[in-house]
Amino acid sequence: MIEGFRLGVFSRGATLWDGLDFAFGDAAVGFVAGPPSSGKTLLLSLLRGERRPDAGDVVVSGESLYRGNPSLARAWRASCGYVPEQRVADAGLTVGDLFRRSALAGGGVRESERKDRTDRLLEMVGLPGSLTWRIAELSISERARAFLAAELLRGPKVLFCDGLVAGAGVPFREMLWGLFRALAREGNTVILAERRIPERWALAAGFPESVGPFRVYRLPGPAAEAKGEPG
Amino acid sequence: MSERPSLWWIDWRLSRRSVVREAIGRFLFLCLLGFVFLSLVLSGGVSRLLADRYAMTAVLRAEVPSAEAEGLARKVAALPPVRSAAYRDPEAAWKEFLRAYPGLDPLRGVGGNPLPGYIEIRFRPDRLTGADVDLVTSALRSVSLVDQVLAGGEGLPRLLRAGRLASRVCWGIFGAFLAGFFLFGRLQERARAVVLAGDFTFLAERGVPAGRLAVLRAAGAAVSGFLLAAAGTAAGGGALFLSLRTFPFLKVVIGPPSDLLLPRTVAAAVLFSLGAALLSSSASLLGWRAARSGRK
Repeated sequence: MIEGFRLGVFSRGATLWDGLDFAFGDAAVGFVAGPPSSGKTLLLSLLRGERRPDAGDVVVSGESLYRGNPSLARAWRASCGYVPEQRVADAGLTVGDLFRRSALAGGGVRESERKDRTDRLLEMVGLPGSLTWRIAELSISERARAFLAAELLRGPKVLFCDGLVAGAGVPFREMLWGLFRALAREGNTVILAERRIPERWALAAGFPESVGPFRVYRLPGPAAEAKGEPG
Repeated sequence: MSERPSLWWIDWRLSRRSVVREAIGRFLFLCLLGFVFLSLVLSGGVSRLLADRYAMTAVLRAEVPSAEAEGLARKVAALPPVRSAAYRDPEAAWKEFLRAYPGLDPLRGVGGNPLPGYIEIRFRPDRLTGADVDLVTSALRSVSLVDQVLAGGEGLPRLLRAGRLASRVCWGIFGAFLAGFFLFGRLQERARAVVLAGDFTFLAERGVPAGRLAVLRAAGAAVSGFLLAAAGTAAGGGALFLSLRTFPFLKVVIGPPSDLLLPRTVAAAVLFSLGAALLSSSASLLGWRAARSGRK
């Protein structure tokens, strides 16, 4: 369980938001939709333990990320995967470099296992044989999918994705929907931050919860989906 | 997959090409430094040259029996600062005199050989100091067989001072090269830290402490610095060995090639490698810090 209590952020000389409460359950897919410059990326960095909130606290499984043991916060970050919205800084790398780096962060992964998983993940996101491609040469959609696949290499317990659905593009929405559903079924948590939720996903999720400038959707789990999968 | 990631040789895992390129550059630099270092260790700056040129002479009284004179020479040779002590009997002294001043044969015809025997004393390069010269001089003056001790008089302290100064200049030049190596390494480390900044940020965002990363990078730099320095010193030592074999006149300044294998030379090479390891790890830490502060 990831909970944010009375979260507040002071940014650019003004209060961006204050007193927001969030709760994301385990083995579920949470979807945070918000307008541009509403602080979605910032919210994800608070939840990942990267940036201390100016007010409030983030609690993971009952432990405070910012007021508790720093080693717990590090262990939390190590268990997280993150697909950023901005992927310009790594333009000089190749797709293979992304996987090598991700494997380093995960540790304890054998070279043969890494290669095997890498091939399968790249195939899953529609980028087979792209290991030697440079990030700079990829389209926005390809970059988003390559970064997602590299994060999945480590098998993160919680996956944060910033603008991934929009970045990957309409043709890959169904693939992502299936992937998130599969991750949740395996006990993982996925938290997505997007400007808007795809219409079919919104229909499946039902009424959102309004939290400050955000609307928070709980995407239906595999059991609920059997009744009415978005399609 | 949840194990703590191993950060040993992380630069090597992230950027092999640049690490290899830098290692080659450092190895060549360390070969040169190793060559200069071993030359300085063996020569002691200019100490060996001075010790080769300087000789103390103990002039013996007339009619000292050869056996006693040779016994005295052996005792002098046993003194710690003395490298060698050789007795020259009056006849050998006369021949040397004639070689130096040809045409003075008639001097002998008047009253026989006018020259007494003497002991020529040479010092160890590392013991050619004013204190050691005084020690040997006073030891000789107390012996009744010795008539005079010729130790260089007032000129010797000046000569020794000049020698010390020249040695310091030599070591200073070596120190400047070493500082150059450090700055070169620091620039390389900084450039690499900047290039890999994205990867380090990536790892930090995934729970890898930046401090641990910096310390393990520095430890890796120390190990690779030691190995490169050891290899560079060995290669530099090999080049010095060949130089001494090819150009024998260098032995006067640097010493015989066999001295390269003396335990104290090997110990000095190990110390040099440890110093290079320390400099490499410091360069890594400073380069890391500079890259991070420059990024902010």
